[in-house]
Amino acid sequence: MSYARPEYLVDTEWVAQNVNNPNVRIIESDEDPLLYAIGHIPNAAQVDWFTTLQHPLRRDFVTREQFEAVASSLGVTNDTTVVFYGDKSNWFACYALWLFQYYGHQNVKIMNGGRAKWEQEKRPLVKEVPAFPPTAYKAKEADKSIRAFRDDVFRALEAKKPLVDVRSPKEYSGELTHMPNYPQEGATRGGHIPGAVSIPWAQAVNEADSTFKTAEELKALYESKNIKADDEIIAYCRIGERSSLTWFVLKYLLGYPMVKNYDGSWTEWGNLVDAPIEK
Amino acid sequence: MTLPKKLQEIVDDFASMSREEKLEMLIAYAESFPDLPERFQEERANMEPVPECMTPVFIIAEKVNNGIQFHLDIPKQSPTVRGLAAILTNGLNGCSLEEIISMPADFYMPMNLQEAVSQQRINGFIGALAHMKQSAVKAG
Repeated sequence: MSYARPEYLVDTEWVAQNVNNPNVRIIESDEDPLLYAIGHIPNAAQVDWFTTLQHPLRRDFVTREQFEAVASSLGVTNDTTVVFYGDKSNWFACYALWLFQYYGHQNVKIMNGGRAKWEQEKRPLVKEVPAFPPTAYKAKEADKSIRAFRDDVFRALEAKKPLVDVRSPKEYSGELTHMPNYPQEGATRGGHIPGAVSIPWAQAVNEADSTFKTAEELKALYESKNIKADDEIIAYCRIGERSSLTWFVLKYLLGYPMVKNYDGSWTEWGNLVDAPIEK
Repeated sequence: MTLPKKLQEIVDDFASMSREEKLEMLIAYAESFPDLPERFQEERANMEPVPECMTPVFIIAEKVNNGIQFHLDIPKQSPTVRGLAAILTNGLNGCSLEEIISMPADFYMPMNLQEAVSQQRINGFIGALAHMKQSAVKAG
C-alpha cells in the first residue's frame, strides 16, 4: 500500500537536487522562527506563521490580497511548486501548506522529515537570505471546504460527524488547559468537544526522524478509532497547527476527501460561552 | 525601579534597537548560549521528560561567593527561547539574592520585545524569570 497522493510528499534528497530549480520554491515554516536565521536549506525562503500568515489585527489569516503580496515577496508564481519544511515534525510546514491550499495554490509539497531529518543527514544549512523578483500572483477565493469554523463544529456535533482531537492525552482529558510548557496559550475550560476521539498527532509520525508513518500504519491508526475515508471529518488541536499535520495526513497520505482543519481549536472552543464540553 | 546594572544596560540597549537589530541580538545570544556545565548533567538527566518534546527548559542556580549564578539548558532547536533566556542570565548572573527576588516582573516593558517576538513568547519569558527566582531562593 502506498500513500494515496504521494505527489504531495518529497524526500530530503529530492529537495537537495532541486534547491536551484527555478520552478521550485523551498519554504521554511517553523514553530521557532529564529531557526531560519541560524541556518536554513540553501536558497530557501521563510514564512512565519504569526508575522507572515496571520492578519495583523483580527484573529484570522491574511486576506486574499495580503496573501498575494506574501506569495509575490517569496517569488512564487501560480505555477511554482512550493515545498514546505520546518521544525517540530513539520507542524507549521503543514500549517503553511494548508493556508496556501486555502487560497488555491495547487502545487504544494511537504519535505518528509522536515528540518530534523535534513540536520540528521548533515546536509548543508546556510545563513544567506535569498531575494526573489516579485511576481503577479493571483490567489483564488478562499477554499472553505478545508477550514472549519465554530458553526461548522456545532453542525458536526448535531449531525454526530467525527471530530478528531489531536492534542496530547492530558489536554484531551482536561487535566491541562494548555499544551505542556505552553501555559500562555490556554483556555478557561479544560476537556474536549463532546464525542471527539483522541488521536494525538504524534502517532502519525516516526519519532526517530520525524517522517510520516507508512500508509498501512496510518490506515490502521485512524480506522481503529473509526475515522473512515467516506466521513466528513474535522480535526482540531489548540490553535490549529498540530491539527494541520493530521489534516495533511488524512487528506493526502490517506486520501480522505472531506477533511477540515478547525484552526479556532481549543483556544476558541475552551473559551466559548455556552459551548458544550466533555471531560 | 532600580535594576541590577548589567540588566539595566541590556534593557536600555534593546529599548534603542530596531526590530531587525533586536532579532539579530536574540540570534547572537542564542548562538553563544553556553552549554550546561558537566557537573549538572546528572541532575539534568533526572528531570521529568516533557510530553510532546516541547522546549524543555532546565534551570539551576548556585551561590558563588556572594552572588547567584544561573545555569540553563535549552535545546539548540529553540533559538528564540535561548535568546530570551540569555537576557536574564547575562543580566542577572553574579547578582545578590536580594537583587534578584526584588526584580519587578514588568522590567522588560521598555525593551519593546513584542516588536520582535510574539506575546506568547514574552509570557514564557516572564515564567522563566519566576522560575529563576525560585531556584535562586533555593540556592541562596
